[in-house]
Amino acid sequence: MWKYLLEKEFKQFFRDPGLPRMALAFPVLMMLVFPFAVSMEIRNINLAVVDSDRSEESVRLLEKCTSSGYFRLVSLCGSPEEAMRLMDGNKADAIVTISSGFGTETALGTGFPVGIKVNTVNGTRGSIAAQYLQNCVMMYLQDRSQHDGLPAVSQTVDISEKYYFNSLLDYKLFMIPALIVMGITMITAFLPSLNIVSEKESGTIEQMNVTPVSKSAFIICKMIPYWVIAFFVLTACLLIAWAVFGYVCRGNVLWLYLYTFLDIVVMAALGLLISNYSNNAQQAMFVIWFFAVIFILMSGIFTPVASMPDWARAITCLNPMRYYADAMRAVYLKGSTPADIWYDAAGLAAIGSVMVGWAIASYRKSL
Amino acid sequence: MRIMGNNAVEIKGLTKKFGNFTAVDNISFEVRKGEIFGFLGANGAGKTTAMRILCGLSRPTSGEGTVAGYDINTRQEEIKRHIGYMSQKFSLYPDLTVRENIRLFGGIYGLRDREIEEKTDALLGLLEMRRERDKFAGALPLGWKQKLAFSIAMIHDPELVFLDEPTGGVDPETRRRFWEMIYEASESGTTVFVTTHYMDEAEYCDRVSVMTDGKIAALGSPEDLKASYGAADMDEVFRTIVGRAGKEDRK
Repeated sequence: MWKYLLEKEFKQFFRDPGLPRMALAFPVLMMLVFPFAVSMEIRNINLAVVDSDRSEESVRLLEKCTSSGYFRLVSLCGSPEEAMRLMDGNKADAIVTISSGFGTETALGTGFPVGIKVNTVNGTRGSIAAQYLQNCVMMYLQDRSQHDGLPAVSQTVDISEKYYFNSLLDYKLFMIPALIVMGITMITAFLPSLNIVSEKESGTIEQMNVTPVSKSAFIICKMIPYWVIAFFVLTACLLIAWAVFGYVCRGNVLWLYLYTFLDIVVMAALGLLISNYSNNAQQAMFVIWFFAVIFILMSGIFTPVASMPDWARAITCLNPMRYYADAMRAVYLKGSTPADIWYDAAGLAAIGSVMVGWAIASYRKSL
Repeated sequence: MRIMGNNAVEIKGLTKKFGNFTAVDNISFEVRKGEIFGFLGANGAGKTTAMRILCGLSRPTSGEGTVAGYDINTRQEEIKRHIGYMSQKFSLYPDLTVRENIRLFGGIYGLRDREIEEKTDALLGLLEMRRERDKFAGALPLGWKQKLAFSIAMIHDPELVFLDEPTGGVDPETRRRFWEMIYEASESGTTVFVTTHYMDEAEYCDRVSVMTDGKIAALGSPEDLKASYGAADMDEVFRTIVGRAGKEDRK
């Protein structure tokens, strides 16, 4: 009986005008387009400079800033007012003001008359611009003390930063596991629920219910093709990330599959739940949309969970995507093993058992 | 345990309530083996609810009975194995071909690959659909779909077949040919339980029941009913019974 049901599902899957193409396009889009689109790296910050000193030292400082690649010098202004007008007109994101006497004061070590103004209408962009500018100043000071053998202007400024696991702060690398997470969730939760609802709409599910086919066999056969596709997409994404960007999973790839499997169980239950409570595809779409938005925004994929307020962090604990995304990033970027991230598995298992129980109970009742 | 008798369906005091609403109100009837039993009623009279219980799709609130010898309260899975079912909503998968639809349902009822192939061949010959074997079921004309769906409902030679408004939306000639298939099934010993809105079809049945407001208002052969209501045809019988129920409602 299983053979015939599976045969039906696979045939229907591959005959669907959209689904097979989607399964192919998904990993390609996710890996080749989205990493660039969702990049939070800030480049091309428009910089206006008011250099009242015009000394050798001030030129060196400015060179440090512009050579970093993050800034684009838009104007050398004669006065702070002129620079401010540029910022008001949205032509400059940041202003560096170097007061006269900069050269001599830094040489003597008596002061460091440099001002930084940043437009923080877009908070992220502004604070990152400020951070970059400070780093440039820091680098200038370090260079100066090393090359010239001159004493550092202020010994108190000594920040050394070291980034672990993603040393170049490559946002693409950071996003790749998260994009896989979103793709797998779509494929394993939402597509099967739409499929079940469409059988409800066309009435064929009723025909199945009067046959000796057990309800669980019918549902499992419906989901299996999507599980196969999910693992195919995962594999394809990992291969593309390696072939195109040269990224490899730091941990054992097996753990990626293990956590994906756990997530699939949770998502299958969610998909079934949605289809139990929806009578037509339109209803199901609304519910899916609702969950998709909450899952993605409350998962830590774009914004760190740790920086959310307590109540928001409490909500994320109910979000399976949070655990799955955390696990995928940990394994992929850090090389964690289930011993390190047992809590992600525990979270998925806890949510999963509640959802599976609820889905089965409501499925029985819905008939 | 299976109760074998002369009746394919035996129902006593069957009731189904949805909250305060009583869809099926304490009905009792039998369907004899091998007969064509017409199950009539106005829309919303409770026909579909009653039929869903008989097919094992839903459980009665109270009442007891057997279908194909199996208890409707406890042996629903066995009932499903021994009945065929074809509904007004299409039971074929439109994105599977004619052959694949036959294969799927054959497989579901436990036929082996070789049996399925033989059945498919015989069926296609009988339906004169050999040339359409690899066409998608969704592309067939409505009348052909209905004939194919009926044949598929009969693929496991069930003792009893439920037909829920099987001939909706097709021309009289196509309907007549469909009824020839029903007669053939009946002659080979299958009991046919059919709901319909066409009163000329009601005339073809051995016995009919008419439901109004969840109750069976009349039951008997078309001849008996026509005689007792002094009506010329089943159409008049139906309108008399349903019209009377409507008047009572308004009082």
